[in-house]
Amino acid sequence: MIVAVLAQLRDEQYGYTLRKALADDGLAIDEGTLYPLLRRLETQGLLVSQWREEDKRNKRFYRLSPDGELILKQLLEEWESINQSLGRILQEA
Amino acid sequence: MELVDSYLKAVKRYLPRRQRNDIIAELSEDLRSQLEARQRELGRPLTEDEQMAIFKRQGDPMAVALRYRQHGRSLTVGWELIGPELFPAYLLLLSFNLMITAAVVLIFQLLAHTPVSAQPFFVPLLAQVICVTLVFILLNSLKGVFRRKFSDNWMWPPADLAHLGGWIRGVRTVCPLVDGYPVLSQPGSGVGGSRLEVQPGLAQILPSHPVAHAGRRESAGRECGAPGLEMAVADGPLWGRWCRRFRDVVLPRVNGFLRWGLFGPWLWIP
Repeated sequence: MIVAVLAQLRDEQYGYTLRKALADDGLAIDEGTLYPLLRRLETQGLLVSQWREEDKRNKRFYRLSPDGELILKQLLEEWESINQSLGRILQEA
Repeated sequence: MELVDSYLKAVKRYLPRRQRNDIIAELSEDLRSQLEARQRELGRPLTEDEQMAIFKRQGDPMAVALRYRQHGRSLTVGWELIGPELFPAYLLLLSFNLMITAAVVLIFQLLAHTPVSAQPFFVPLLAQVICVTLVFILLNSLKGVFRRKFSDNWMWPPADLAHLGGWIRGVRTVCPLVDGYPVLSQPGSGVGGSRLEVQPGLAQILPSHPVAHAGRRESAGRECGAPGLEMAVADGPLWGRWCRRFRDVVLPRVNGFLRWGLFGPWLWIP
């Protein structure tokens, strides 16, 4: 889930559109989980956020930070290697 | 006040103070986006029930707020033992008790004309921590009994009465006669269709009053109706509502007051 959120935030988005985008890709995260998660990722320095007005409403836009990009890269590599191992294990079975 | 504001206000109450406004701003944005999206889908303004369905999916205000609480490292054990619902109340009561205890010990030391030292504070303060913690652990283990479901009780001031503005005003704490809880709304109604949810205790008193008595009927819970007011007897326990703010609502047609006491609102009909 974290990987998905980080990957999706390579482009700047605000909470609602992010949630929609994830849901459209088959990963529905309810808002009660997503927003606290975004907050934690921001505290950890993986995301940066900014309040901006759009369509007459203040929205908080999130984007991946340089640190976040680094972590995402590492996570994706790890994910890749786990996937490959799993694939091999399943083939053997 | 819109229903969504009422909901957000209820969430806000349980949020960590520092992040409160920020979280509410974001949550408000999300909820309004959801409401608008649904509205566009249907091509008409949403009814109150349709809005409620969205809030219901979001979750009970308290549960929603609790997801934002990040576990303080030093408090994690307490958090687990006492449970997230009770933890804020626990901290509040404990700090209050500790302050009082420390003040009392200090006063005694001053009265006894002994030099003020730290040692006499130790036992009473420790005893306070142990007692309060034990009480809350007990309450936490009992909470299954009072398990809360998603309810409409966060609507305060009630949607129907909110537009009365001047009628609704904050008033200091009064002693509760009965533990009832506040006015809920009915779609599209003015004061005439307002529903007042009250605890069974209050309902026993109400029928004796001529106005409240008129048009009483049986339904899910017992309902008492009056030209200006309908009342439904709620059967839920009072759990979680005690921390509401103290308020008065004047019910104009009944000429009575709905007062918020320590344990919930109660109705006073002069």
